[in-house]
Amino acid sequence: MTISLGIATVLGGFLFPFAVRMIWGKMVDQWGAIGGWMAAAFVVGTVWCINHGISTPMITQSGTAWVDMGLAAGVGVWVASALTGGNVKKSYRNVLAAVSGGILGGFLLSLFL
Amino acid sequence: MKFIRGLIGYTIAGMIVMAVWGQLGAFGIFGGYLAAFIIIGPMWFMNHFVNLVGNEDDAAFVDMGLAIGVCGIMRDTFMNGTESLVSSLPTIGLVIIGAVIGGIVAAAIEKSMAKETEHEATAPEPGMTEKELDRLAETE
Repeated sequence: MTISLGIATVLGGFLFPFAVRMIWGKMVDQWGAIGGWMAAAFVVGTVWCINHGISTPMITQSGTAWVDMGLAAGVGVWVASALTGGNVKKSYRNVLAAVSGGILGGFLLSLFL
Repeated sequence: MKFIRGLIGYTIAGMIVMAVWGQLGAFGIFGGYLAAFIIIGPMWFMNHFVNLVGNEDDAAFVDMGLAIGVCGIMRDTFMNGTESLVSSLPTIGLVIIGAVIGGIVAAAIEKSMAKETEHEATAPEPGMTEKELDRLAETE
């Protein structure tokens, strides 16, 4: 991975949690649950295009294990939430559940894919 | 019980994204939009709107994206071995660095936005500019 691609990868990781924090909550406030569906399509869909979808994507995959921009959302949204007053200790149970869920899901997928 | 709830919700989200998205995304940009709409939409609704995963209101928010990211990495690690995980470590590190910066910047901007709305709430008339407000404060 070259320096240029590395910088682009960092910025790709920046872009997704930033867009989620700026848009998602406000859309849900404005439109209720439908706002969440709109955000799913137009935040995740649109950012996916630049981070993964185009032929030379912003997040360069250095290896063979797929690094999804979802990882950036999980980390970045958690950091932003902690900095705006979210209790870090109370979130440990969910962090553990999410990481175990990811590992369990990966194992279950390896059974049939 | 809440851990089990979270485990189930996060596992389902990770599995569906990591199994289905790749094949829909193969149809190009619009496959990606379709995947975002039909997968992230209902998974967000189940996990975060219904709150199956049980995020507390006052706790730092754990998005299902974390589970999705880990699921993608672990899927290929289970299928191709640990050398697959090692080869992807540079990308994992860079993406996490970017995500932390993104979170810090977003939090700073949100705080600045919250200050603006506070300022507006105390303004005598809605839509009054801060300049006018400062001038008013000077004359008082």
